[in-house]
Amino acid sequence: MITAGLADALRSIVGPRWVKQRPAELTAYDSDALPGYRATPSFVVLPASRDEVIAVVRLLAQHGVPFVPRGAGTGLSGGALANDAVIIGLNRLTRIHAIDAGNRIAHVEPGVVNAVLQREVAPFGLQYAPDPSSQSACTIGGNVAENAGGPHCLKYGVTLNHVAAVTVCLPNGELVQFGDPASERDGYDLCGLFIGSEGCFGIATDVWVRLLPVAPAVRTLLADFPSLTDAARAVSAIIATGIVPAALEMMDQATIRAVEASIYAAGYPTDVAAVLLAEVDGLEAGLDADARTIERCCREAGARDVRIARTDGDRARLWQGRKKAFGALGRIAPHLVVQDAVVPRTRLPDVLETIAAIGARHGVAVCNVFHAGDGNIHPNISYDASDHAQAERVHAAMSEIMQACIDAGGTITGEHGVGLDKLGYMDALFTEPSLAAMCAVREVFDPDRRANPGKVVPVHACREWGGRR
Amino acid sequence: MTTSPTTSAGPSPLPTCALPDSPLAKAAAGLDACVHCGFCLPACPTYVNLQDENDSPRGRLLLMRRLLDGELDVRDPDVGTHMDRCLGCRACETACPSGVPYGQLLEATRATTRVARPVPLVARVVLGVFQREMLLSLVLVGARVLRATRLPDWLARVLPARLAFPFAMLASTTPARLPQASAHDRVLHRVRVRASQARRTVVRLDGCVMRGLFAHTNAATTRVLSATAHTVRSAPGQGCCGALHAHAGDLDAARDMARRNIAAFERVPDALIAVNSAGCGAMLKEYGHLLHDDPAWHARAEAVASRVRDVSELLADRLLPAAREASPAAPTARDSAHGAASSPPVRIAYDPPCHLMHAQRITREPQAVLSAIPGVELVPLVDADQCCGSAGIYNLVEPDTSDAVLAPKLRHVADARVEWLVSGNPGCLMQLGAGLMRSGSSTRAVHPIDLLDHALQAAPAERVGEPDLA
Repeated sequence: MITAGLADALRSIVGPRWVKQRPAELTAYDSDALPGYRATPSFVVLPASRDEVIAVVRLLAQHGVPFVPRGAGTGLSGGALANDAVIIGLNRLTRIHAIDAGNRIAHVEPGVVNAVLQREVAPFGLQYAPDPSSQSACTIGGNVAENAGGPHCLKYGVTLNHVAAVTVCLPNGELVQFGDPASERDGYDLCGLFIGSEGCFGIATDVWVRLLPVAPAVRTLLADFPSLTDAARAVSAIIATGIVPAALEMMDQATIRAVEASIYAAGYPTDVAAVLLAEVDGLEAGLDADARTIERCCREAGARDVRIARTDGDRARLWQGRKKAFGALGRIAPHLVVQDAVVPRTRLPDVLETIAAIGARHGVAVCNVFHAGDGNIHPNISYDASDHAQAERVHAAMSEIMQACIDAGGTITGEHGVGLDKLGYMDALFTEPSLAAMCAVREVFDPDRRANPGKVVPVHACREWGGRR
Repeated sequence: MTTSPTTSAGPSPLPTCALPDSPLAKAAAGLDACVHCGFCLPACPTYVNLQDENDSPRGRLLLMRRLLDGELDVRDPDVGTHMDRCLGCRACETACPSGVPYGQLLEATRATTRVARPVPLVARVVLGVFQREMLLSLVLVGARVLRATRLPDWLARVLPARLAFPFAMLASTTPARLPQASAHDRVLHRVRVRASQARRTVVRLDGCVMRGLFAHTNAATTRVLSATAHTVRSAPGQGCCGALHAHAGDLDAARDMARRNIAAFERVPDALIAVNSAGCGAMLKEYGHLLHDDPAWHARAEAVASRVRDVSELLADRLLPAAREASPAAPTARDSAHGAASSPPVRIAYDPPCHLMHAQRITREPQAVLSAIPGVELVPLVDADQCCGSAGIYNLVEPDTSDAVLAPKLRHVADARVEWLVSGNPGCLMQLGAGLMRSGSSTRAVHPIDLLDHALQAAPAERVGEPDLA
């Protein structure tokens, strides 16, 4: 129960400045990066240390109050939204406890920003491989919660593959460690289970991430195509050669134009239907051959031009443009729906055509910017919510698009998580027993269902509060 | 769950505007560009240092939206607190993929809320003085006299921090004693100026603080411009640019000051306007926006604004990189042959003023100017793109936050181990200068034009006949 006494008790743990309660102070925390959603938390608590996190969680457990962990609020599935729950912000836990270059492992707090970690390990010639597009702002804790991906996960794998261990404050306030920073542990892979649990199993207070040496050489290519379908065919052709690109990304014309109008303009051609950004890295020997093979695949698929980044600066610009593309879409119209589906790579050409047809039928403009190599597509629709008829069309189109992805043998999220936004699609994807199994797993960590309630698994599946939203 | 909509994607029916005809309502289109991606968070000095999303650009944009929607009141003290805490450094603008015009939105918000929430006394006094030309001149004369007594140096050391800081700021404006180069270095280290450049006519913005406390930098600016094929003319009748007033939301006062300056600069038509203060340059370049509602002045404002150049923009294509020794520590054979070793280069670091880097988006030109200064080594400064906490009169009005923002800057400067910290804006120079002085650092803050001028004073420029090296 939320009482006046609870607020005072929270203040005594973290200090008065770090408990937010008044309406204006809650405003910044009533949404995350998912456009169009809003939920007002009861309080926002910003602890500064693991001990404070534990004390806060214990106190909330005593009062039976639900909570939602939040990093930088850059998530795109509404996972950090809290309705009648307390937000526990982890953004003040920013210490990098240790960088063990010899064992290639770093021990960090959950509030460390992904790009800050990259910057700190760079002097050792190391990198943290997962590079979500929001890496300049998003936190490692959030990455763990969402099992974040990124362009380079095509070759290097997602967050799951790069976390050795986590210390977790369970929803009852108990502290446990999953995984082992030093070695593989026998028994169930609880660390693996925790990663991607979207804040429903507890709060990671310590994360041990694996580091990789920075590849000694890299080639980045930009190919442009007269149609999305041609670009999608090139993707399948490249993968079929056996080359594993470090990244293989696609952007369509609407996205390119938004990026080129922004401060992150990278010099993408604005008169083409799509560009493919391909990167290969590794030992110097053989890279040029790989780059030539990729170029050939692109040209055979109909590419008008293929160019290679000449300098590090050129390469960085190409990547900045791609990574900031989502934010740049705000230029097109005031409102935006973002999606995150995965389809089998070979189905990309026809799924993209289907998406375009759905968009055309509903009279909405779909922008595509996505991780083509993984088949992880992000169809986004920009629109003006003050036009209600348009908003209805946008939603209808998006539902059809998601269904088309599922019908193509795909799934509803590649990296953004289910959160709140994709809850409605879970029934279409999973059977009743599968959803019940998920609920049973959750029960183990959070029997009272107080950690990020109402997310990931539809509530009716857990027979909790009954009924669909 | 009452979480807004899942059935109709996007926000529920848009509420009608609660503040019709307010400056914020007029600027509201800019808010629509924000998709709250959060990419502005790490760029924002107040978010980074205060660790609260209420003190982030995204958080403030949400507050603005709720003011317009009528969900929050313009008198809400929390809204005021978080709007006041914004430095207005606009680092979020150079991080924003969507091009949200944050600076304009902030000024419009402050103009809207100040009706209900008067500005603090300190700010009122300072803004009042800067608005009155005679009074300002008197205050600046007084400040110069006080500075000459060396009393501020002493007060900066003995007073408690809060009181000492303004005195440290004043003391730090004392013209820097730059190192005297040896005769040998003077020969070796000459500023190299491109010959055969078309002569340009410029008029200098004299400024207010620049005129009052940085007269030496103004004089240096004229000398440097003259040495690089510029004819410098004067524009009588100009005064303070009004930036401080605009940032505080007193847009009417800022407009009055803008009109006076526009009229003054119109008397020297066709001349480019050379500005050595980044904050003033940003303001002058935005006169068109400031007066966009004034049909009689808008076109005139745009015309004057289009002539404004930061001094580094004028110099960048006229200077060539200075000769650098291959290994500063080891004298070259040629040096030995001349019987004299050259001095090791002086370590300097560049701290870009926010209103140059983020507001005017000028980054390459200052680098070109610095690379033209002989005998110095430019050392990288960590987080140089973060504000120093000066932000006009912010350090006087919000001293706690200003200190919090300045602290990491001073740490990074200490780590860089430089003799000179270079920045092209009087506010930054005073903030950094005072911070360095109070922390007992031997590093001094200096305007890049002072350093360049010093080199030009030591030895006449070498005119290099290359037509174009770009």
